[in-house]
Amino acid sequence: MSPGVVLPLLVRLVLGALLLLAGTLKLRDPTAFATEIANYQLLPAGAPVLAAILPAIELILGAGLIVLPRAWRRSAAGAALALFVVFTAAVGSVYFRGINIDCGCFGTGGGPIGWLTLVRNLSLTAGAVILLRFDRPATSAAPPVGRLSG
Amino acid sequence: MTLILMRALGLVGAGALLGLLVNGVRPDGVRFARFAAPSACTVTAAGGEQAPGLAPVETLAPREAAGLCGDAATVIADVRPAADFAEGHVSGAIHLPCTASGQAASAAVDLVAGRRTLIVYGEGTEDARRVAEEMRQRIRRPDLRIVVVTGGFGAWNQAGLACSSGPCATCAASPPAASATRAPASVP
Repeated sequence: MSPGVVLPLLVRLVLGALLLLAGTLKLRDPTAFATEIANYQLLPAGAPVLAAILPAIELILGAGLIVLPRAWRRSAAGAALALFVVFTAAVGSVYFRGINIDCGCFGTGGGPIGWLTLVRNLSLTAGAVILLRFDRPATSAAPPVGRLSG
Repeated sequence: MTLILMRALGLVGAGALLGLLVNGVRPDGVRFARFAAPSACTVTAAGGEQAPGLAPVETLAPREAAGLCGDAATVIADVRPAADFAEGHVSGAIHLPCTASGQAASAAVDLVAGRRTLIVYGEGTEDARRVAEEMRQRIRRPDLRIVVVTGGFGAWNQAGLACSSGPCATCAASPPAASATRAPASVP
């Protein structure tokens, strides 16, 4: 297999597995996860709703990246990219405000937010970009065959 | 491209709907109406223990604490209820009770940025210590000194140290702000 095939395959399996893991762990205690979200001090009023929907969205996107056909996988990668951008912005906001809270990235007790958390989120974002860019249908090298006349 | 976007929205929408359904069905799901956002004293700090390299919260007598007030790099926080704050408070103090929202605590964190000392006082020593410990957990700056005033505002008053009085326009609001009655000069 060529690197152009292996790289997207590896990236989507890793991203898919991570999303499935994160979604599953967040599902264990929704109220504690809502508190983790509220601790970010960005959308405290929306924390319970986000705590209810985010794990399921992560599970759907994670499963989608792994099992769906390519056309739908690209959509899952696009949605995952949007999700990671939002997560990275939230984590960055907390980091630069100097607030000492748990990340909540993998449910409760995920460890404090630091520069490594930022790097991890940026890596996930880059992974989603790679998927969008390279997980495409193979284009044929041969020119389109015209209809023969005569 | 539009198709990709439409499908992405469909996946997210399906996830959100599924999440709401599952949350509504499970007995330990988060209850939207009853959920209480963390307050200044209940915000969960990472680890829950003293971060290494951070100085512990100090306790100082009112007169010693007042000696720090002359420094422009000092922030004073009053943790008493709004009514008490309105009756009288240390000049220039912000209102940061335990019941303040976590957002207010975050605003206080922003206010302390670039300052060297945070003085916290309450009705007594312990109510101030709760908020002080919380702020210690939330602000990871080793150079920030956090001080609790022994005996609280009563002891401060008995010592005859400077105070200001008046209604607190911002007590009910989330973000803490300097009192409307903030004196132009710092407390001696």
